[in-house]
Amino acid sequence: MVLKREIYKEFENIVGANNISDDEALLDSYRYPLMHTAIHLGPYYRVYTPRGEAVLLPGSAEEVQAIVKLCNKHKVRVKASSTFWSAWGYPMEDNTIQLDMRRMNRILEIDEKNMFAVVEPHVIGATLQAEAMKHGLNTHIHGPGASCSCLASATALNGLGPDTAYLGHHSENMIGAEWVMPDGEMVRVGSVGSGLGWFYSEGPGPSLKGLIRGMVGSMGSMGVFTKCAIKLHPWPGPAPFPTDGRPPAYKAVLPDNLMSYTLGFPDWEAWADSCYLIWEAGIGYVAHRQFNMFGRDLKGAMVRILSDPTKTLGDIVELLKDPEVQKMTEDMKRDYQIVLAGMTPRDIEWQEKVLDRILEKTGGWKVEGMLEPNLHDWSLLYMLRLGHKNLNLVYGGGYDGCFGIGGTPDFATTGEYPRVEQATDFKKEWEKKGNIVAAGGDGMMGGIGGMGGGGMTLWENFTHFDPHDKASTEGTYEFFNATSEYGKQKGWGPGMEKMNDYARWTDGRTTPKEIRNKILSAGGQPEALRYQRKFYETFNPNDLGDSYYRTLD
Amino acid sequence: MALEDYLPDMERCSQCSYCKWIPFDQVKSWRFADGCPSIAYNNFLSYSARGRFAVALSLLNKQSTYTDRVVDIIYKCTTCGSCDVSDKICRYNLEPLEMIQELKIRAVEDDQVLPAHTAVIEHLKKENNMMMAPAAERGDWAKGLDVKIIPVEKAEVLFHAGCNYSNDKDLQATARTALTILKNAGVDVGIMGNEELCCGGRAYDTGYKEEFTRLAEKNIKAWKAAGVKTIVTPCADGYHTIMRLYPRLGVNFEVYHTVQYFDRLIKEGKIKLSKSVPMRVTYHDPCHLGRRGEPYIPWEGKEKKVKGQVIVYEPRKPRYNGAWGVYEPPRDILKSIPGIELVEMERIKEYAWCCGAGGGTREAYPDFSNWTATERIEEAKATGAEALVTACPWCERNFIDAVNSTGADIKVMDITDLIKQAI
Repeated sequence: MVLKREIYKEFENIVGANNISDDEALLDSYRYPLMHTAIHLGPYYRVYTPRGEAVLLPGSAEEVQAIVKLCNKHKVRVKASSTFWSAWGYPMEDNTIQLDMRRMNRILEIDEKNMFAVVEPHVIGATLQAEAMKHGLNTHIHGPGASCSCLASATALNGLGPDTAYLGHHSENMIGAEWVMPDGEMVRVGSVGSGLGWFYSEGPGPSLKGLIRGMVGSMGSMGVFTKCAIKLHPWPGPAPFPTDGRPPAYKAVLPDNLMSYTLGFPDWEAWADSCYLIWEAGIGYVAHRQFNMFGRDLKGAMVRILSDPTKTLGDIVELLKDPEVQKMTEDMKRDYQIVLAGMTPRDIEWQEKVLDRILEKTGGWKVEGMLEPNLHDWSLLYMLRLGHKNLNLVYGGGYDGCFGIGGTPDFATTGEYPRVEQATDFKKEWEKKGNIVAAGGDGMMGGIGGMGGGGMTLWENFTHFDPHDKASTEGTYEFFNATSEYGKQKGWGPGMEKMNDYARWTDGRTTPKEIRNKILSAGGQPEALRYQRKFYETFNPNDLGDSYYRTLD
Repeated sequence: MALEDYLPDMERCSQCSYCKWIPFDQVKSWRFADGCPSIAYNNFLSYSARGRFAVALSLLNKQSTYTDRVVDIIYKCTTCGSCDVSDKICRYNLEPLEMIQELKIRAVEDDQVLPAHTAVIEHLKKENNMMMAPAAERGDWAKGLDVKIIPVEKAEVLFHAGCNYSNDKDLQATARTALTILKNAGVDVGIMGNEELCCGGRAYDTGYKEEFTRLAEKNIKAWKAAGVKTIVTPCADGYHTIMRLYPRLGVNFEVYHTVQYFDRLIKEGKIKLSKSVPMRVTYHDPCHLGRRGEPYIPWEGKEKKVKGQVIVYEPRKPRYNGAWGVYEPPRDILKSIPGIELVEMERIKEYAWCCGAGGGTREAYPDFSNWTATERIEEAKATGAEALVTACPWCERNFIDAVNSTGADIKVMDITDLIKQAI
């Protein structure tokens, strides 16, 4: 226990005795194991993030403000997290208090006319979506799924997800925020800051959106966001979902204006062409290469298992021998999922026709096996609610993404032997060693339309392993090292597997400065990171944040 | 299994937080999206399955020791199994509920106990019931009923009333009604009278495995000696214990909850529901009858890996995730009662919110237990129902107390009492 009792008492006076603890075991439930979903570093076997000095559960923005001011007074670092999905939200060093934003969990407003919601930090995708749908609206649910904080995604992280094609990116959807700055002052960003309500993040009022979040967000290292407004989008379906079926194979029979398809293509060029044509036509509500996260060879069997409550992973070997499953798997080799949502009967009719024309033009097809009603209704609910996102951990409990080739659809798919196939071959060789799941090399998942409904696709190659198994964890780490080297040789740029090496190091703490500088200098636009250093020094004068905020001296 | 056997689960827990919520596909509102009462009430991560995995790991690794807070984290769990259902939406190789039960068992073995539990367990050891009542009064609830007493007389079916129905004077009438309905339907039924003992289920869920085993072995011995093959119980807890826990001791009785038995008798025409009961009701799925009430499938085996690192089990391991609990029989009964309008709450069946009485929380944490029940009452009221109907005396007792403490305008009823009104 490092916090002096009198300091602890001061914090306790702010939140009340029931909302603070420095019990060691309790604090250990606020440590992130870096041996599995490390996002995106490691995995490091049996390494955990440092133990915080105390956990506080603030109940209001005023309490947060008082806590941050006290942190400044006593030079104690502060790290806030809402849904704790990944290592970003946990302390980096000793002398850090953890804020668990769970008690601030209200949806403060849903403005149906102006199509936005004002939320506190612990509102998650599933609850906001459920409430928005009652108003004929919907919210973007970002990649980590329905379990995660909407505010965290909108204010402090990337905010990309399968429905970005229509429902946007949370960096775009955020139309204002209440920010307790690192020095404890509070500012309301955007039009709300000038008392004009929540309608635009760039003013009239303080235009700080670029500073507080930029493209990737500050990941909890620059103060605490206590509320934000999120743009909502039309939902042409029922509320609530008419969910049916036995767990985990839930499905929803939705009206005919909502359709889910898995599209397959004869080659990668046709796959890429279809992306462009879809963007050009402006069809699609959700578009994502989703089920491929189970692996090219296993996804057919996995969708059968997941959509049938009598099945378990123990059925996978038998299912792989099933000719129907084999055919479906082959049909889905170069695939993605798309959900069409017609705002009117004419709209869905038109979208269907357009999709058929695109398939005709590219030689693609609707994967027949996925049209079977049970699978269709399962897949539709899956894609709309994104409530099964953590199936990326289904095999052994650990996963991380590698390669992560992001760019236009052509980036990974063109050429005599497309990059996606090169990456597949490379991973497939490593799968033979037995430390990662042998899924067929290609576990690449990602959005079909990453920015504003178009412009980018993502190829995060999911790699599955067992975090309890030392050989598997260390073997995965070796594989990621090799992947980075391979990417470098090929000139593909840095992969996602080491995306956060600049911030958190092998001991779970801050990356040593020399290494950090080297990594960040080698990345794009080092001058921008030097500029960010000035921001950091100005807004975080007592250095109470952490290295997730990218800066260079 | 020992706590150490769950070390792989502790390290494979992926921190996804699904354990806190009902399955996301079932979320219909912000208000009723919570699944785990423990984290919803206590807020610190440690009070979720995810947190308890971490706390258990910390203790096993000797990174921390028992403190008042740790003991609180361990016992302030209703063992309702909501976490288990939600975790298994995405995970096929984690057993959070089993781990939490083992964590409690370990705490008891380490003498980290709560005075409130000690008092109940000491009484249980002496008087064989959870209700602080004398053993000699166990059979009083059936006084005046013309019923066979096993083993003095033989009967095809043993009616096991359970501790609550035997000793809670507010609830005894329901047990009498249930027994009478069975008799009138022509069932050859008997009771153990004063010889009936607690099933031991509550002791197990509170961490007192030794006491559970003692009671289970005594019951098994008595029932075997009496030639009992079929047991019917109106207690969801008893149903779960006899069906899911007793087979671990190598015995299998044919066990039915009264809702299953009544449903069958109604469908066979042996119970005729002819009187109208004009009432709008909602039904609460007891955890032990619903998500924890799935049929027991014996399994002994080990983990193995296929396709490199896909964890499977040899032989194929049964998957308990609430998919096959007892959900339809009570609903079919309610639908067959003329005049009854069944309206569902948002959280039902495998993702029902707990009543708050389980796992020793009613005894040790009355405020938490009452809050949990009150949350359910609020949910029931939101349907516009006049009555919250259930099929478990523990749930009923907790709901009655919550209604009394909050003054909520809703009746709490056992389904048996509605059947009686309709006959």
